[in-house]
Amino acid sequence: MMLSFLLLPAIIMFLVSFSKNNKSKYLLAFSSFVILVPIVKLFLLPKPYNILSSYLVADKLDTYVLLVSSIVGIGVTLALLTLDKHVKVSPKAYRKFYRFFAIFWVGLIFSILANHMGVYWIGLELATLSTVYMIKTNYTPAAHKEAWNYMIVGAIAVSLILFGIILMYASAKPILGENGMEFDLLLAHAKEIPSPFLFEMGFAITTVGMFVKMGFFPMNLWLANIERASFYPVAALFSGILESAIIIGFFRFSKIAMQVNYDHLFIFVFVYTILTIFIVAFLIFRAKDFMRLFSLSGVEHMALITMFWVSGAPFAALLHFGAHAFLKPALFLSTGVLESNGKYKIAGALRGYKGKKGTLFWFLVSLFLLAIISLPPSPMFFSELYGFGAMISNAKQSNHMLAMIGAVLFLLILLSIIFYRFVAIYQAMKYEGKEEEKTVYGSELFALVVFAISLVTLLFPATLTYLKSIS
Amino acid sequence: MTDFLIGLFLASLIVALFTTRLYRLLLWYSINSLMLGTLALSIGKSIDDNAMIITGIITIIVKGIGIPYVLKNLSQKFHFVRQITPEIKVQYAIMLVPAILVFTFYLSEPITHMIHTNANYVAISISSLFLSLLLMMEHKNVAPKIIGFLSMENSLFLLGISATNGMPMLVELGIFFDLLMAIVVINLLFHKEEMKV
Repeated sequence: MMLSFLLLPAIIMFLVSFSKNNKSKYLLAFSSFVILVPIVKLFLLPKPYNILSSYLVADKLDTYVLLVSSIVGIGVTLALLTLDKHVKVSPKAYRKFYRFFAIFWVGLIFSILANHMGVYWIGLELATLSTVYMIKTNYTPAAHKEAWNYMIVGAIAVSLILFGIILMYASAKPILGENGMEFDLLLAHAKEIPSPFLFEMGFAITTVGMFVKMGFFPMNLWLANIERASFYPVAALFSGILESAIIIGFFRFSKIAMQVNYDHLFIFVFVYTILTIFIVAFLIFRAKDFMRLFSLSGVEHMALITMFWVSGAPFAALLHFGAHAFLKPALFLSTGVLESNGKYKIAGALRGYKGKKGTLFWFLVSLFLLAIISLPPSPMFFSELYGFGAMISNAKQSNHMLAMIGAVLFLLILLSIIFYRFVAIYQAMKYEGKEEEKTVYGSELFALVVFAISLVTLLFPATLTYLKSIS
Repeated sequence: MTDFLIGLFLASLIVALFTTRLYRLLLWYSINSLMLGTLALSIGKSIDDNAMIITGIITIIVKGIGIPYVLKNLSQKFHFVRQITPEIKVQYAIMLVPAILVFTFYLSEPITHMIHTNANYVAISISSLFLSLLLMMEHKNVAPKIIGFLSMENSLFLLGISATNGMPMLVELGIFFDLLMAIVVINLLFHKEEMKV
């Protein structure tokens, strides 16, 4: 019953996408809010709550991730109402976009709630494949090329994830049998796994697959190129929902790997993420358009979340994750509006928005832009403070205190490069270029307001207490 | 019998790497899948696992017959380029393939010590994964890249059979469902597009 309610908006979207009536899209925007009802119910229920046998189990972590990704889903459906006003899209392609968005959403609900490695992978693969067509909705040679690119690289990444899952399953099968695929059982028996090397090998391969999907080193640009070539809601869905599903998988796998051998996990992920942020900082410095800028910034933040999580700061990781999941889709959806008057034009992009709607729009975009670089009181400011603090206190218990201080200083230098670039871009958007009259529509503004309210909610004491209770 | 089938599985993948004609590549993919399906049937029968036997039958029907047939139809419908010359020259590929095999056996050595049943099969699955990636890399045309992706699925399936004596039925069926979804998406990607990619 609970699962039916969770899937209801996606199912309605899938069915309505066959209707040729243009007004039907308004129904979808409102029906997407329905998903909040079962999620609120899930928050109230005692956890862990079995939604579908032991395959789909809601605990505190996945209920939080599900709420965050559902708000993103609602925001995107609102912004989709005016897609045809900003880009050229045929009614048929528009309907197909909705259809594949629905499949994508179903896949990711399964992935987020999965307590079973196999179900997690199936959901992720379903989402990956449906994304391919969402990219293709933009009928340009660049989008066509990038759809194939996504199909191939995405498939390789997902295959690596499955490959690792099989090895992890093989390592746990002697003690758990067919239940060796269940996350909770694996976590409870992690120390009893007879061949830890096999598990670690599987974990490393799965992690590499997940990192490829999130655009980590050495695949830093593939996601940016795809998001550039496709319509802007695709980028919002990537950053808000797809990456949520991938990161929750990483959280679950790494929790088990921490029990098996924490040092190996820490060194592997820490070096990988520092390398990623190092490369991405310079790529951001050279970025010349909004999409690539935000996409690369997304890679940076996912690397930070991963780093905080393995450094023993799950609270910081979850706060950072929530803030990023609201901010980045909001920025990508804003990009659709900002670029509708000429692509790649950064100078003066925020000028010319008049009236109440216009003023609210440029104010919100400024807020999001400054919040993404962790200016207080952005939740990201607090999460980074907590995260770096936890990294240092974690190192106090080891012999690597000096190395950790060096690593944190190095990270701060890299983050300051990114900070500098964003501030320069913001100033160019607000104070340079020509002032031209520009339009913003009610539905997309409403989506941005939803994201802004959600962002503020993250700083409420009740939310922070909830996040602390997860960790 | 199992050794013979797994040998043929690997051999058909290696031959596919050197193929220069599309239909011949589809044939080798089909043989590769048939070997995999028969292997699942053989192992399933020996360990008395009905789920694996069902999976083996589905593999033979879907991957061994269905997918090559659909891809052949697609190639006729959208006029695929049938001459598919690999970018890597044959003399280099001949050296590269054994190097990959030796490397993967070396790479998977620590793992093979931990798996008591079918230890070498794990190494072969990993090498098949690398060979499938090579198949994707050595061609510029889209069709061989699709075959490479499908062969990669086969390698994963082989690992599932050999390392774990079969994964849970639900997962196997889910993978098949995703594979069918992949074919639908590939079909949509080709739709109304000129085949010059």
